[in-house]
Amino acid sequence: MADQANFERDAMQYASQLYSAALRMTRNPADAEDVVQETFLKAYRAYNTFKEGTNLKAWLYRILTNTYINRYRKQQRRPAEVELGELQDLYLFRRLGEQSGAERSTEESVLESMVDTDIKQALESLPDNFRMPVLLADVEGFSYKEIAEIMDVPIGTVMSRLHRGRKALQKKLWSLAEQRGLTGPSE
Amino acid sequence: MKPECDHAVDYLYQYIDQELTWTRRLRIRWHLRRCPPCLNAFEFEDKLKQRIRECGRDEPPQELFDRLRALIEQEAADSGEV
Repeated sequence: MADQANFERDAMQYASQLYSAALRMTRNPADAEDVVQETFLKAYRAYNTFKEGTNLKAWLYRILTNTYINRYRKQQRRPAEVELGELQDLYLFRRLGEQSGAERSTEESVLESMVDTDIKQALESLPDNFRMPVLLADVEGFSYKEIAEIMDVPIGTVMSRLHRGRKALQKKLWSLAEQRGLTGPSE
Repeated sequence: MKPECDHAVDYLYQYIDQELTWTRRLRIRWHLRRCPPCLNAFEFEDKLKQRIRECGRDEPPQELFDRLRALIEQEAADSGEV
């Protein structure tokens, strides 16, 4: 079992990452700070239940996720589970490939020219239950098994939400790219 | 799209997330070697994942670290008094 006296030394290195994740969840810097502070307080109080040598980062993310859900889901009265419509595989890649003309930009150059704020906005546009797995996999680099433990859902659920979340993200990125005129005329 | 392409796309995300068994991974890699359109698609998805990773991070204000330390010290002091 971990010693509470070591909590600061062990956990502080994850504060910055936890803040990024909290910001993508809450979409607001002040709320993100609140969530991280509450997470640290809860984690500190429970640190003597943390098994030393196991995955501290995942343990902290689990507390962060629960803190966020408890604070905001109640408050916003959002439906807990949102469904996304039918989504095509390789959505963005295919739409980019449909562009015509000599000035057609390559798929990868469009990716490069996409603005960071658009990508953040697309991430934040996803409903909670799809945003979490995308965030945890793509930004934080957690494995499916770790995400299942953090979100307390079966691995199959992680996979289907992650895949659907990514497709929905691509759809949003496409519409943002269109608005910015990054895409050429389609055939 | 050939059936092999459909099969590869079914495993696209597990492939780029490194979540496939060794044998299945090898089978997909074999297909990608022979199928440039699928290889392009896979490379695109992988680059997109990297792009999302780069954009997903924000630096917190420096005061957050100070506040977290103060919070823990306060909590330690409070529980020490009991």
